[in-house]
Amino acid sequence: MRVVVTGVGVVAAGLAGGAAALRSFLAAPPATSTGRVEDAMLSGLLDGVDTRRTSRVSRLAVAAGRLALDDAGLGDAEAAAFVLGTELGDLHSTIEFADGYLRGGPQGLSPLLFPNTVMNTMASATTIAVATRGPSLTLNVRTVGGELAVARASRTIAAGRAEVALAGGVDERDPLVEEVLGDLGGGAERRGEGATVLVLEAVDHARARGATPLGEIRGAAWRGLAARPNGVGRVVESRAIGAALIEAGIAASAIGWVYGSASGDGPRDAWERALLSRALGREVPVASLAPLLGQHAGLGALRVAAAAWTARSGRWVEPAWDGTPRLTDVAPGPGLVHGIARGGTHVALIIDGPPSDAD
Amino acid sequence: MPRRRAVVVTGLGAISPFGAGVKAFWQGISVGACAIRPITLIDTDGFRSRIAAEVPEAIGGSPRRARADRLALAAAREALDDAGLGAAERRDTAVIVGGVGGGMLEVERWYWARRRGEPAHPVAARATLPASHADVLAWRLGLDGPRETVVAACSSGAASLAMAAELIADGVITTALAGGADALTRVCFMGFNALKLLDPEPCRPFDRERRGMSLGEGAAFVVLEDRDAARARGVPVYAELAGHGMSTDAFHVTAPHPAGDGMVRAMRAALAGARAEAADVAYVNAHGTGTPQNDRIEAQALRTVFGEGRILVSSTKSMIGHTMAAAGSLEALATVLALTNEIVPPTVHLTVPDPDVPFDCVPRTAREASLSAAMSNSFGFGGQNVTLLFRRAA
Repeated sequence: MRVVVTGVGVVAAGLAGGAAALRSFLAAPPATSTGRVEDAMLSGLLDGVDTRRTSRVSRLAVAAGRLALDDAGLGDAEAAAFVLGTELGDLHSTIEFADGYLRGGPQGLSPLLFPNTVMNTMASATTIAVATRGPSLTLNVRTVGGELAVARASRTIAAGRAEVALAGGVDERDPLVEEVLGDLGGGAERRGEGATVLVLEAVDHARARGATPLGEIRGAAWRGLAARPNGVGRVVESRAIGAALIEAGIAASAIGWVYGSASGDGPRDAWERALLSRALGREVPVASLAPLLGQHAGLGALRVAAAAWTARSGRWVEPAWDGTPRLTDVAPGPGLVHGIARGGTHVALIIDGPPSDAD
Repeated sequence: MPRRRAVVVTGLGAISPFGAGVKAFWQGISVGACAIRPITLIDTDGFRSRIAAEVPEAIGGSPRRARADRLALAAAREALDDAGLGAAERRDTAVIVGGVGGGMLEVERWYWARRRGEPAHPVAARATLPASHADVLAWRLGLDGPRETVVAACSSGAASLAMAAELIADGVITTALAGGADALTRVCFMGFNALKLLDPEPCRPFDRERRGMSLGEGAAFVVLEDRDAARARGVPVYAELAGHGMSTDAFHVTAPHPAGDGMVRAMRAALAGARAEAADVAYVNAHGTGTPQNDRIEAQALRTVFGEGRILVSSTKSMIGHTMAAAGSLEALATVLALTNEIVPPTVHLTVPDPDVPFDCVPRTAREASLSAAMSNSFGFGGQNVTLLFRRAA
C-alpha cells in the first residue's frame, strides 16, 4: 500500500499552521529564532475545551493535531491510528508534581497533575481532542521521536493495518533539562520546542475522498546501531537507509538531498555525516532545520513535510548555524529524511513528491 | 486483508516479586502466593497505602545502572537464552520495550537531594527516559534490529508485544525481543495514592469489597519469531501470538469509557486477527486492577464479547500487584504458561464475588483447565487498550 502525506500541522517558534504556512516559512526563513513557542500564538490555536486541565506540552500536540486534520480536510478520523514521538514527555508537570510533595508532603500532591507524569499524556489529550480511536502509540526516544513516529505510522499503513494515521512529535523546553544537559556535557545542542503532526493516508483512501497529496513516503525503516547508551557509535554502515531504499525501489544514486538530524551535538552530528557518506556513496547536500527551529521531537516530522515540498519544488533550505539561511535549488525528486540519536536509534525515510494520477 | 506471517513465542524471561526467573514467577502465581508486602524501597510515611510487591532479592548488573534497567536486563537475558538466540541472530533482532517510569527512582534521589540543597551530581538523569531500557538492552545484548520504546501507560508491556508481532507478521523482521520493565518509583506511588486508587491492604480484584489496586515492579520479555524461522532453527515453541488488538477510548485522561467501548474493540480486533471466535477462548487473564471502576467496566466489556459465564477470568495483579509497564508482559507470560501447563492461575484474596462480574474468577486456588486459546487484557491511562490472544502451539 502506497503512503501519502495529505496534511500538516505545525506549531513551533514563530510558525503555526498547515502546509501553506510551512511553505511560506521555508521560502523566507528567518535569520534567528528564539526556539520558543509564543504563548499568545498557542492560545489562539485552541478553544476552552482544549486548554481545560491540559498542560502546555499537551496543548502543543493538540494544536498541531487539529491543524493537521484541517489541512488534510479530514473531518472524520475516528479509525485513524495516532503515533507521537517525544523525548521528554510532560517533564514540567512531573517536576511540579514532585515539588508539591517536597513542599507539602502527601497533602501537597495534586491528583490532577499525576496523569501528566506518564509520557502518553500528550497523545491522550490529542486523541480526545481530535477523536481518533485507533491504536495510540507514544514513542520515547532521544532526539528522533518525530522521524520514528512517522516511520512507524507509515509502516502501519503500508502493511494495510490502517488507512489513515496521524503521526508526529512534540517536546517542550525546560530550564532544568537544559541545565542538566549542560552539566553532563551536552549543552551545545540547539534546543527548541513545538509539535508537528502529519496526516498520512493510503493513496487509494486519499484519492477516494479527493484529497491532494503533498508528497509520498516511499520507504521507511528504523534500526539500532551499536552505541553505548547516551553515546555515539563507530559503526557507519546504515542498514536503515539500505532498507528504506529497497522498499522505495530506488538506488542510493537517486537521492539528491538530505534533511538530517544535526543539532549542534558535535560527536553525534559527525556520526551522521559518516553514515550518510557511506550509505549514499558520495557527498550529497545535507541540511538540518534545527538552526531554524531548535531540536525537538516535532522537528523530525516537520522535516518530512519539508522534504515533500523540496521533492516537488526543488527548493531546499540550508540553514547556517550562525548566519542567514540559504535557500537553494536542488533536483526535484526523491530525498532522504534521516535521524540518528545518541544510543543508536536510527531512522530513514525516502520522501518523494506526490504521485501522479497515472501512478 | 493482506496475508500475515504467523508469530510464535520461543523464549520467556521474567523477574518478578517472586524473584528472578520464569520458574519462580510461575511457581508463585500457580500456587496462589501473594508477594504484596510493606514497601522498603521508598519512604511511605503519611500515605494511606504503604504496601507493594517489590522484587525481593539483589538484582544483578552494575549498581550504576538504574534499577529498572537492571530488571529489564535480567529478564531479557533469560528470554534470549531460553530461545537459544546466538550473537549472529541477535544482530537482526528487534528490541521493543514498554516503559513508563524509566530511571525515575534514581532521578528522584538526585532531585530530592538537589531540592534540599545537598550536593548532587545529575549523572542519574542520563537514565531518566524510558528509552534507556531499550538502549541498554541493545548495547549489552547485541540487538541491532528495529528499536522502539512505547509508553502506553499500564498497557505499555502488552503494546510492545503487539508492535513486535506486527513487524514480524508483516515480514519486516523475523525475530524480536519484546516486553516491559518498571521499578517502583516515588512519583508512581505518590500519584496513585493521591488519586486514592490504592488499597491499604493487598488488592482484591473482582471482590465485591475491593478498595483499589496494589503496586508492584518487575520485568518480563518474550522472544517472538516468524513461525517458519523458528521451525528452521528447530527450537521449541511455547505458543502462537495469534492475534492482537489496540484501541483508544478518546474519552477521558484517566477513566475508561463507561461502556468499555475501547476494551471491546481491542478484544474483537484480537479475535479477528487470529481468525478466532469468542467460543474458542476459554481463559482471559484480565487487566483486573482491583479498583471498583476498572473491574466493573472490564467485566462489562468481557460480557459484551463473550457473554456471561463460560470463560475463566483471573487477575495476576492479585498476587504481584500492578507492575505498570511490566504488567502487560508479565501477564502475557502468565497467559502463555497457563496454556502450556493447562493451569489457570487464581485471583487471590477474592472471597465475596461481585455480582456485577458474572464470571468464574478462579478464587484463591489455581484450576486445571484444557485451554486451546487464551487472552490477556491490558488497559491504561489515556484510554489505551491492548489485547493479546495466544493459541496453543500446533
